[in-house]
Amino acid sequence: MVTIDELIKDTGAYDCVECGKCTTVCPISNANPKFAPRLIVVKAMAGLEGLAQEPDIWTCTTCETCSDMCPYKVMYSEFIRGLRVEAVSLGVKPRCSQHGLMQNMMRMMTNPGIKQNRLKWVTPELKIADKGEVFYFTGCLPQMSIIFEDREGVNLLGIAQSAVKIFNRAGITPVVSNQEVCCGHDLNWAGDEKNVEKLMKINLDMIKNSGAKKVVFSCPECLRTFDVDYQDMAGDLDYEFMHISEFVADLIDEGKIAFNKLEEKVTYHDPCRLGRHLGIYDAPRDVLKATGADLIEMGRNMKKSACCGVSAWVSCESLTKKMQLERMVEAVGTGAKKLITACPKCQIHLRCAVSKEMPFEKEKADIPIQDFTIMVANSLK
Amino acid sequence: MEPRIGVFVCHCGVNIGGFVDVPNVVEYVKTLPNVVYAGRNLYTCADDGLSAIKNAIKEHNLNRVIVASCTPRTHAPLFRRTCEEAGLNKYLFEFVNIREHCSWVHMKEPERATEKAKKLIEMGVAKAALLEPQEEVRVPVEPRALVLGGGVAGMSAALSLANQGYETHLVEKEDKLGGFVRNLHTLYQTGKGGIESINPLIEKVMANKKIKLFTSSMLKNLTGYIGNYEATIAGKEGETKTKFGTIIVATGALEYKPVGLYGYGEYQNVITLGEFEKMEIEGKFPSAKNVAFINCAGSRGQALEYCSRICCTNVIKSAMKLLEAKAPEAAATLAASIPEAPREEEAVAEEGGRRRRRRREAPAGAAAAPPPSGIDVTVFNRGITTYGIERELLYNAARERGVKFVKFIPENPPKVSREGDKLAISYYHETLKMERKMNPDLIILAAPLVQRPEAEELSKMLKVPLGRDKFFFEAHVKLRPLDFATDGIYLCGTAHAPVFIDEAIYQAYGAASRASIPLARGYVQTEAITAVVDDKKCIGCGSCYGVCPYHAIELSEKEVSLEEVSLKTRKSYVNPAVCKGCGTCVVICPTGAIAQRNFTMPQIMAAIKAFSGIPVPLEVLAL
Amino acid sequence: MVNKALIIGAGVAGIQASLDLADKGIEVYVVEKEPSIGGRMSQLDKTFPTNDCSICILAPKMADCFGHPNINVLTYSEVQDVAGKAGDFKVKVLKKARHVDEEKCTGCGDCMAKCPVKNIPNKFEMGLGTRRAIYLPFLQAVPRVATIDAEKCLYLTQGKCGNCAKICQRGAILYDQKDETVELNVGAIIIATGYDVWDPTPASEYGYGKYPNVYTAMEYERLICAAGPTQGHMERRSDQKRPQKIAFIQCVGSRNVQLEHPYCCSVCCMHSTKEAILAREHHDDIESFIFYKDLRTFGKGFNEYMERAKKDYGVVYTNSDATVQENPENHNPIVVYDVAGHPEKKEVDIVVLATTLIPRPETRKLAEKIGISMDKFGFLESVDKLLAPLDTRVPGIFLAGYCHEPMDIPEAVAQASGAAARAAEVMVVE
Repeated sequence: MVTIDELIKDTGAYDCVECGKCTTVCPISNANPKFAPRLIVVKAMAGLEGLAQEPDIWTCTTCETCSDMCPYKVMYSEFIRGLRVEAVSLGVKPRCSQHGLMQNMMRMMTNPGIKQNRLKWVTPELKIADKGEVFYFTGCLPQMSIIFEDREGVNLLGIAQSAVKIFNRAGITPVVSNQEVCCGHDLNWAGDEKNVEKLMKINLDMIKNSGAKKVVFSCPECLRTFDVDYQDMAGDLDYEFMHISEFVADLIDEGKIAFNKLEEKVTYHDPCRLGRHLGIYDAPRDVLKATGADLIEMGRNMKKSACCGVSAWVSCESLTKKMQLERMVEAVGTGAKKLITACPKCQIHLRCAVSKEMPFEKEKADIPIQDFTIMVANSLK
Repeated sequence: MEPRIGVFVCHCGVNIGGFVDVPNVVEYVKTLPNVVYAGRNLYTCADDGLSAIKNAIKEHNLNRVIVASCTPRTHAPLFRRTCEEAGLNKYLFEFVNIREHCSWVHMKEPERATEKAKKLIEMGVAKAALLEPQEEVRVPVEPRALVLGGGVAGMSAALSLANQGYETHLVEKEDKLGGFVRNLHTLYQTGKGGIESINPLIEKVMANKKIKLFTSSMLKNLTGYIGNYEATIAGKEGETKTKFGTIIVATGALEYKPVGLYGYGEYQNVITLGEFEKMEIEGKFPSAKNVAFINCAGSRGQALEYCSRICCTNVIKSAMKLLEAKAPEAAATLAASIPEAPREEEAVAEEGGRRRRRRREAPAGAAAAPPPSGIDVTVFNRGITTYGIERELLYNAARERGVKFVKFIPENPPKVSREGDKLAISYYHETLKMERKMNPDLIILAAPLVQRPEAEELSKMLKVPLGRDKFFFEAHVKLRPLDFATDGIYLCGTAHAPVFIDEAIYQAYGAASRASIPLARGYVQTEAITAVVDDKKCIGCGSCYGVCPYHAIELSEKEVSLEEVSLKTRKSYVNPAVCKGCGTCVVICPTGAIAQRNFTMPQIMAAIKAFSGIPVPLEVLAL
Repeated sequence: MVNKALIIGAGVAGIQASLDLADKGIEVYVVEKEPSIGGRMSQLDKTFPTNDCSICILAPKMADCFGHPNINVLTYSEVQDVAGKAGDFKVKVLKKARHVDEEKCTGCGDCMAKCPVKNIPNKFEMGLGTRRAIYLPFLQAVPRVATIDAEKCLYLTQGKCGNCAKICQRGAILYDQKDETVELNVGAIIIATGYDVWDPTPASEYGYGKYPNVYTAMEYERLICAAGPTQGHMERRSDQKRPQKIAFIQCVGSRNVQLEHPYCCSVCCMHSTKEAILAREHHDDIESFIFYKDLRTFGKGFNEYMERAKKDYGVVYTNSDATVQENPENHNPIVVYDVAGHPEKKEVDIVVLATTLIPRPETRKLAEKIGISMDKFGFLESVDKLLAPLDTRVPGIFLAGYCHEPMDIPEAVAQASGAAARAAEVMVVE
């Protein structure tokens, strides 16, 4: 664990000139004027005690709009993450969604002796292997599909199936492993670094044994965790980590796959991990256009994309729904037939808002959401 | 010569045309006596306006020209030259200001503005009919320059003048060259000592054969005018008198002593930044492990109005040096300094634009930081004024290295007090909205630069003004920043306003450029609108001598012959090379013996009559 | 030793440098890219801290420069290459065809009235006004000579029309005129190429280009200028209504490490203060709000000017950065800012962005070609930042004005005189 002073240095918090631009762009501040990313940092710089006890550190969705807009690149989200680690060490328990089920499941997976049965979704026509060049990291889709079985309009296993379908169509048999465990993203952002390290070890051993050189992810959170956090903890790793949109973009360039031009009107929601955290904006758009989709952008897109409202299952609050509905209304406003997103969590959270009671007619915010990978697989020739 | 007057009424875009009915004015002007042509232009100062004037002079055989537009201050030279180019003596040109004097002040009453414009032009027409051609005098220029002040500005100015081929005398009050920089322990630009950094310049000045150096010397007296100044320089070896063509003022500034502010003068450990630098030079590094700087001590409305420009950057420079300095022994027992992890520079740019987020890219300006010393440095400020490139990058680097910055507002400045044997600063945190306190061992006040006390005397000697801020006041804030309104005298460096060394140096080159122009040309052409004394009416009372602000009047014995009698009497004489045509002497003369060319009593009275309709008999005026 | 000098760029710095040198008896060439000299200063409405009308005080200098017997002005021209060394530079200048005879044209405007190609956005008016295919960039242009926009002219592009040649009584239209290369031989060179205005569209948090009532400061200068496209009447882009509440946002694109402009432009705090004062001078009921990071009033008389803005003109200064949203019903921009860590919103009528001013890309190219070093932002560097601030690393080539570092008009004028002194030193034969 790092000290507050180290955190200030690591995140560049000292660079803050108190201009307040972060506040003006923060989606949380916009809904809740009592919250501002910089207040937490300014308090730390002023040497105030008890920061880790402040509820605000759990309110932040770590969407990184602030960091992306900050003239001096202060990494507010990372600062929050550091404070959460300290908070947990002090015994603070975050108020987790689903009564902490998600995190508990992740912690269970740190036990190397656990028996899993995670490959039930692999239908007979899908070809997978135990060893090979390309590893497809499924992430939490199998577990989450059970928890969110009832959520209207959410199709999680379809993402994994679609990913394998794409690989197979390009003549690739990906490694998919039953030994895979959660990447640990949600623990990492809930202050539980210790268990992330345990999960990392299991995952990295598994990938090493598969002989893969390339690891492809359909989930942006998994990708971020491997590409940034694992390498941060374990040092440089000798794999190529890719999002499936980047992988598909390469396949298109190499002429290995083709699409039925569906000419569907769609709009695209940039997940924060894929966009602001990893800077991947173009690949999903290029691929969508290649499928023949007519891509209509929402007002808030790319770096300025709106947040789906929740991250790491810790920040779901009353104003979350407001943010989500705003985003859905924005999507409906484009006139698109469906909203594409590349993150299963965005899908879950945004659908959550429209599956409950709404302050206005449902049509204003109701638009089908489809995962990027599924959309691509469905368009394959 | 029958007056044939042409009048050009200017719209000045909408500046005049938006409020004054210009076509209507033109029609009226056409009816005035002696006016043979009247026209209007959107911009008379533009090329087509000027061509229109030239063409009309030829076409209508004009012998008087009036432009009714903006201000003679900026535009009279242009229109006069235009008349000259068309073969008309430029003093047969008359300017009528219908913008500043009319349209701009009557924006809300366009009809009355139009009537006023007509009257103003009518006055001009009446005066123009009486204008006479005037000749300007050419005065030779002494090809030598005088530079006052041997700091970086004065030295650079002298060096440039010498390098342009002119003999230059450099006068420095102290026994050594270098000025204010001698007191600076380090410069932010070089990271080296003040004197060490400017030594190459000092050596060049000393070695230059065209520069004559007067150290421990001061300007004692000055007479004359552009091209022909005579300066008395007093030094250790006595006084010398020398003639100069032009003069540059580079006398520098001092640090303000903020007595009564933040405990200065009350507590020993409250010092100014200048004092701190001197202590560093003398090797008396103050023993302190917690240092607070307070910016704008005395400036920006506290005791003085202005911002002193250089303090923020100099504070940051000193703050960073403190961070690097070895902490005093006493600090060892305090919280162990935090070892800094080696900084990874290559943190961001990765293939495909992907970013590694936990290690952050060092912001621009950040250099490899030495390990922190354990000295805590806090800068209380009202906003940091590190304008431009290098200074702003330095500010970024300072935050990176751990200098803390706390903003305050002038309504609620930090308060310095004593707590036992400790200093205390209590302040209000403007973001957190809470009272805070700290206990520094040393408080360094960033006090502004102020004018030197002897400047008042110098300004009188040179007949150049000081501004409200007591700094020397230039001819035009925007376009003549290095000239004085008095011809032949120029300024640069901190005598003008606070500036950094590099800024003082380019200003010095600029002043050298301005000062070399009359030297290169070899002559100056003086104004012709000077005062002239009618010996017959002058009674030698000396009133004019006393009021002339330019010392252009001489009183001398003259022999006057009246029929058979001849006697010696005192008479006034106006030196046309020095006279600026201000008219003060004309007004004071009890006998009406002084007339100012181009503003004669008949001309002015004709204008008044044109306005009021009341004739004033000239005999009454002539006494 | 060639007793001549070349000035690249005829803004206020270039004009001052040329006048100083010419007054010393040195023959000067001034090369200006645009059809008129005057540069950025000619675009400004008024100047701080005296509120002098910018073109009014510059126009006499423009006329002096163009009319000086020792100065040769080459407009619509660009320096292509420089060879040789101090005292003897060979310079290639591309004189672009303006398709109008500079000697014959009087700028009467007959051709412009007849030109059928209308509504070309006028660069001088920051696109707020339009011009024809044959045009004067602005009323006070020097030289007052028309220029044909070869890309837009019907005759030059399609062989049609020919109206201007028919109407011109002086036969000044030269459709066949070709670009030509002029070779100059000079002893010293001063680079004074000034700045460009950064386009804030990519920083979409300010809404420029998306919300009609968000302006750049340079657009605003034209909007309030009596000689501008609206004759100084303030009209909003969305509905031509006169604004009553104006928000000014500072440091748009500057002091921003993310956008790789970490530097401070040095002039924006003051020009926004001036613009707010001018708004109130136009209409008593205008309220101005300035949002800033640090208020930098470091020049002579600047702090006093800012205090006057507060006291006498009711300008409200808020220490916060700000971003912009829009009220979709009336296109009113909504400024979001931060007060002590809490977001606040203010609906205004227009927003003016103090966009960063950047070195010109064409200056970068020229510098690369002739071996002048630049910092990573594209500002031209001096060989010794302390003692020789105007000297480049190439002896005989000097710097003046914003191309060198951010600065205001008097600083550029002082530097221009300084560079003229340095250039004159080169000409001295011992």
